[in-house]
Amino acid sequence: MSRPAHGLYSWIVQRLSAIYLAVFILYVLEQWIFARATTYEQWKAWLASPVNNIGMGVFIVTLLLHAWIGARDILMDYVHNLGLRLTLFALLILVLLLSGVWALRSLVLVL
Amino acid sequence: MKFSIYRYNPETGEKPYMQEYVLRDIDPGMMLLEALMRLKQDDETLSFRRSCREGVCGSDAMNVNGRNMLACITPLASLREPVVIRPLPGRPVIRDLVVDMSDFYRQYRAVKPYLIVNDPEPEVERLQTPEERERLDGLYECILCACCSTACPSFWWNPDRFLGPAALLQAWRFLADSRDQATDERLQALEGPYRMFRCHTIMNCVDVCPKGLNPTRAIGRIKHLMLKRSF
Repeated sequence: MSRPAHGLYSWIVQRLSAIYLAVFILYVLEQWIFARATTYEQWKAWLASPVNNIGMGVFIVTLLLHAWIGARDILMDYVHNLGLRLTLFALLILVLLLSGVWALRSLVLVL
Repeated sequence: MKFSIYRYNPETGEKPYMQEYVLRDIDPGMMLLEALMRLKQDDETLSFRRSCREGVCGSDAMNVNGRNMLACITPLASLREPVVIRPLPGRPVIRDLVVDMSDFYRQYRAVKPYLIVNDPEPEVERLQTPEERERLDGLYECILCACCSTACPSFWWNPDRFLGPAALLQAWRFLADSRDQATDERLQALEGPYRMFRCHTIMNCVDVCPKGLNPTRAIGRIKHLMLKRSF
């Protein structure tokens, strides 16, 4: 857990990812509110456009990184039993990875 | 004036309890420490630390009505009744309001709170410009009363591995000192997920510091310096 750059690295990734998440969410909200797409087919087309597709892909990866760092921090604060903590870490990684694969898969399918 | 004070004596084996006290002779402008000392005249088993009684030594930090503060510089008039007094949170209690500060001091020692200079000793003093000296304002004034660290949830959960706001303020005090030559070693020692990065900018430290210091800002400055140095 204690690679030389670990603390600083996680900290800066958490902050940079937060900026991207915030900006992208605002972008998607803007697209929703001014509903350029109202039907399922139009939404598929929206997501299939390269900018939105890549943007969403980066969003998913960034979200997973952000969630990992945040949840890891909470477990490090509150769960001190090593066995329990490692189990929870493993579960967390599993859930995050599976959600990531599932989400990225639908991004590719929409193309 | 009514007081409710945490009592615990490990020698009797009795469970900790809150004891009610009433103090009748109160002078205008009286501080909480004076009230405690008058209560102690009637009940000499009541234990607490105190020394300078003017907010300089940092001995009489305690949790009053839910906030950490120095009893000696807290006017009684500013407190709501009954005044609930407990020991500093999260520390093992030795007796009544006296807590074990070992973890706190160990973390303070861990940041090497002294100048590290590799150059040979100069003939005259190590001089600073007024601007260089100014950078230490808001840092050197810390009296190590532990109000901040014991108000910090990150320190409650990991007092053995997280340095805590007081020690981190001192870490920055020496990083910011123009005469110190151990910047890289100091930053290296603060790396890792625990020693500094358990700080989640909760800012309880800033809220309770009786000297008005800002450990959160100091921690932010350390992170900035670390970031600059790593590129």
